[in-house]
Amino acid sequence: MFKVRLYNTSLMSNNDFNALMPLLVLAGASVLVMLLIVARLSHRLIQLVSLLLFVIAFISLLNIRAMLPYQVGSLFMIDSFGAFMIGLIIFSGLAVNVFSYIYFQEKEEGPKEYYVLLFLCTLGACVLAVSNHFVSLFLGLEILTIGLYALIAYLRARNHSIEAGIKYLVLAAFSSAFLLFGMALVYLQTGALSFAGMANVIGAASVPPLLLTGLGLMLVGLGFKLAVVPFHMWTADVYQGAPVPVTAFIATASKGGVVASMLRFFAAIDGFRSEQLQVVMIVIAIASMVVGNLLALRQSNIKRVLAYSSIAHLGYLLVAFIPGGDVVPQAVSFYLLTYFTATFAAFGVITILSGAESDAEELVHYRALFWKQPALASILSVAMFSLAGIPLTAGFTGKFYVLTTGIGQGFWLLASVLVLSSVVGLYYYLRVVTTMFAGTRDLLPGPPPKYPVFLGISMVALFVLTFALIWLGVYPDHAIGVVRDLQLLVTAPATSFAE
Amino acid sequence: MEIAFYIAGTVAVVATLMVITRHNPVHALLYLNVSLLAHAMLFYLLGASFAALLEIIIYAGAIMVLFIFVVMLLNLGKETAEQERKWLKVKVWVGPTLLAAVLFAEFLVLVLSSGQGTYSPAVVSPRQVAVSLFREYLIGVELAAMLLMAAVVGAAHIGRHKRLVLHRFLKEEVEKEEEKHEAVML
Repeated sequence: MFKVRLYNTSLMSNNDFNALMPLLVLAGASVLVMLLIVARLSHRLIQLVSLLLFVIAFISLLNIRAMLPYQVGSLFMIDSFGAFMIGLIIFSGLAVNVFSYIYFQEKEEGPKEYYVLLFLCTLGACVLAVSNHFVSLFLGLEILTIGLYALIAYLRARNHSIEAGIKYLVLAAFSSAFLLFGMALVYLQTGALSFAGMANVIGAASVPPLLLTGLGLMLVGLGFKLAVVPFHMWTADVYQGAPVPVTAFIATASKGGVVASMLRFFAAIDGFRSEQLQVVMIVIAIASMVVGNLLALRQSNIKRVLAYSSIAHLGYLLVAFIPGGDVVPQAVSFYLLTYFTATFAAFGVITILSGAESDAEELVHYRALFWKQPALASILSVAMFSLAGIPLTAGFTGKFYVLTTGIGQGFWLLASVLVLSSVVGLYYYLRVVTTMFAGTRDLLPGPPPKYPVFLGISMVALFVLTFALIWLGVYPDHAIGVVRDLQLLVTAPATSFAE
Repeated sequence: MEIAFYIAGTVAVVATLMVITRHNPVHALLYLNVSLLAHAMLFYLLGASFAALLEIIIYAGAIMVLFIFVVMLLNLGKETAEQERKWLKVKVWVGPTLLAAVLFAEFLVLVLSSGQGTYSPAVVSPRQVAVSLFREYLIGVELAAMLLMAAVVGAAHIGRHKRLVLHRFLKEEVEKEEEKHEAVML
């Protein structure tokens, strides 16, 4: 009798397979692309197939909407928040994939393994977004990070690329050790590895010191992946050294996945009851906003500007994160949506402008860009406006949402630092925009565009992103309506047991 | 039995400290091996005999062999023999041996005195490990497979050597051949 029950509850049912379909598609896609590489197909074909596979993964995600929320074993909790985050992450993979062809076709490295790693990284980030258990959290994080080691150092003949890869390797491995040690301490205190189990053990009691130590160590590990201030040292160098599409991936999907899992974990154990932990998070948030914006001021390299900008943005995100409560998943998802869209628009333009030898990373390259490439310059301007949070762009709506969440719970200090540091941030975002309009129009236009098909696809993607940026800024009601319905669940709803 | 735990723990800490303070990688490896044996001892004391055996077979056995292979491959040449003679000085192996001897003595004492003490940890059998891995954590095992795949694909890419072509005409031919091959495949 016992055996039969074990069989029923632990092996995967059809429903489990359906619910996990987006992850299965991503995992299968990485194997499929590897087989295509073995068959020595061309870059173009592999690119198009991966594009198709990302679209299939996205469609399979839309298919599971009806069955949410759904718990798979003890490892995954696929609720509407998790599904939204998976959607964002798969969308990031798709966007990175679109921009990759133009970037890698001219490079000296065969870009094929790149797509395998891209699928695996996307899979890791998606696993993070729905993980409800330390095992899946750590495995997802490691799949993501190990894939990123290789992606960052992908152009291995270039010194700065290898340097960035080594930096990320050493620091990420070190931070994983912190995370693991923190998890071990939490396990020692609670005796549970699943979030729900921990929540049961901790209950409403005060947070014991051992648990607090464990949470602190975990915060170091997760903070590194999010590149929030004291753990931000690697960011600028890695952003600069990595290939541009990979940089875009680090800035978006990898952080989105970690934010989602961190939010799920903190919601499960109700981590903000502890005042010490809250104070630490507030300090981290304020430091990230201030330091990120100040360090960006003097940069002359646009990848570094975006690196520091991402530090500041994660600080803004923490303002929505810290208050705790039901509104947090909504504010966080909406903010990530606006941040992802703007970041991809910016990195997409950089990718298209990059040449075979070097990336278009120095701000000097952008002088008079408007007179040469008005479309690209306008898109980059909109992206910068949105990152700066200027009204009528998505960034403003996102920041507004974050602010209302913070103020609604009485976190005035965080809110005022957010506003003040955003004002400082305006300087360097607008500097990029003014650079593009500076100079005269008699500059010679660049060489004729290559790869018209893929350039076309990339431009379409950029226009869609720009449209989304403006649409989210002018008429955000629809997106906010979607986000409002998101719920983050820790324990399984009663219905999923009744199958 | 608590004293056994503390002895094994001390050996592990001392050995690991020696690992990170040695200048010569081979010396560090010897201590690392002892540290892994001490960890196996700890697992054993905690009732996880299966994990203890895995620790010895996989870490102290297989992974150490890999390390030593790498060191050997890196040290090909005439000075290898000379270097090996240097490594085998008493000073080098006496430390790890002593620590390992402590562990071995502890192990003997424990085995010989078994059944007399009142110490009975909750024993985790291989069957329980297998059931937990391939039932509850089945997806975790599969994810670990994807993790290894990411590592292998990444390492294969980063570590790949370019085919060395010495003559430029030959180089052109190789490129043409590859192009032809690609065209055929398409």
